[in-house]
Amino acid sequence: MFAIVEESLEVGALIQGALSPDCGAIATFVGTTRIDESEGAAVEYLEYEAYRPMADRKLEEIGAEIERLWDVRHVSILHRLGKVDPGEASVAIVVAAPRRGPAFEASRYAIERIKEVVPIWKREVWSDGYVWVGSQVGTRGLASGKP
Amino acid sequence: MIKVLLFGAAADRAGTRETELPVEAGLTLAELWPLIAERHPDLAPMRDTLAFAVNGEYARGDAGVSPGDEVAVLPPVSGG
Repeated sequence: MFAIVEESLEVGALIQGALSPDCGAIATFVGTTRIDESEGAAVEYLEYEAYRPMADRKLEEIGAEIERLWDVRHVSILHRLGKVDPGEASVAIVVAAPRRGPAFEASRYAIERIKEVVPIWKREVWSDGYVWVGSQVGTRGLASGKP
Repeated sequence: MIKVLLFGAAADRAGTRETELPVEAGLTLAELWPLIAERHPDLAPMRDTLAFAVNGEYARGDAGVSPGDEVAVLPPVSGG
């Protein structure tokens, strides 16, 4: 399953859905919202936006790449949109494979590819302003609107 | 008309998420950029960081764009 969703990610259900008698391994990667602190300020939440349906299609392409590169039987990638509070999951990747090596490698590949090619953007909302991650555009003192 | 969609930091700097350019003939993405930057001057400093998509797929500067196409201005992606 490949999906971009606005609601909380149900990681347990994703893993349950990947259980299969022909697989001996399920590798799971969950990216979560971390509270960074700097200069007396802290991240309050993250907000994600996406270019759809291109982003949906790119997730499916990553799944197809993984199936070409490794012997895996099941790949799920879910990414959240909108506001994500601290400690919540923003992305979940579940790969089931007959053996653990391909499951580990494929799940790592999926998150790295997401960060390279999927048109999704993250805005960090701090107690003293916001920053578009990757562009350094925002209203915090350090960013000051300059790219 | 060419529809131009803006995302993330680019939408922020331009102050809009969507704009239409009155283009009547085909041109390349590289030729379209000055029209976008003229409409939204605050985007100009971001040029070197931006990628583009035409009709939902990444495209390079020499890619053709025609009236009716959808062009997306994509800052560095930051999913995950």
